[in-house]
Amino acid sequence: MKPFISKYFIFLLTLLFLLNSCNSTRTALFDQYSYEKTIELKVETANLINKASTPYSCNKQEIENLRLKIEKLIEYEKNKPYNEISFEMWKALNDNERNLLAGFFKDWEQKETESKSFIIESKNQILEAFDLLIQYEIKKDKESKDNLLQIINLKN
Amino acid sequence: MEKEKILETLKAELKVLIAKNYKDLKPQLEKDFNAFLEASKEKLERWTVLYSSGNLTNEEFEWLLKSQLDLTSLQALQAAGISKIKLNTIKNNIIEMIIKIITDIIILRIK
Repeated sequence: MKPFISKYFIFLLTLLFLLNSCNSTRTALFDQYSYEKTIELKVETANLINKASTPYSCNKQEIENLRLKIEKLIEYEKNKPYNEISFEMWKALNDNERNLLAGFFKDWEQKETESKSFIIESKNQILEAFDLLIQYEIKKDKESKDNLLQIINLKN
Repeated sequence: MEKEKILETLKAELKVLIAKNYKDLKPQLEKDFNAFLEASKEKLERWTVLYSSGNLTNEEFEWLLKSQLDLTSLQALQAAGISKIKLNTIKNNIIEMIIKIITDIIILRIK
């Protein structure tokens, strides 16, 4: 009976330690919804930027629709626990004063049309920012799996 | 060869700028901007070619450089976490310096 109690006690202690470590790193768990939505928005963004050689005013409705979708996702990310990094990344992408997605829309609106070379190069930059968000979400999945595996291995 | 020369000049000029104006932050800044230049090497070369051939305007070139700094800060955010990120005001000075150096080199080459 005694060895069983001590084994059980060690397991509980390790579990508490692991839970505490998860808390201290403050990383949210992988979220399939965030992952899928980010990919969806990346594709929509790429299609929209391709149209930047045509006047902003002709694409205004589509741009506003995309911005609304992004704002909804940012609100979702903001309210997830321990999700500060993803939230900050989204805010940067959607900041008019930075040179990423919102900054591109601002520039497009000011110029009315963009040059071909600039469309290609700025699109690469913006899609790279989306990739960072996607990779970060995937990383959360790996961390969650690793933590789970550790717990399972300890149990055995 | 010309592209390599631009990057080497950039590095050297930035070193001087940092040593002159940001003494206290020198080690960290030098490390950050060497990493920035190294990570942006291919893009800087491509944008410089597009800029010098007139396919990118001055504003577009500047916009792309700033976007690269924003991307670098996103990467740092991912890697180091929020507490270690300091968004600095030095960035604009550095960008101006990069543009000036590249512009000077291009103007010199045209002359």
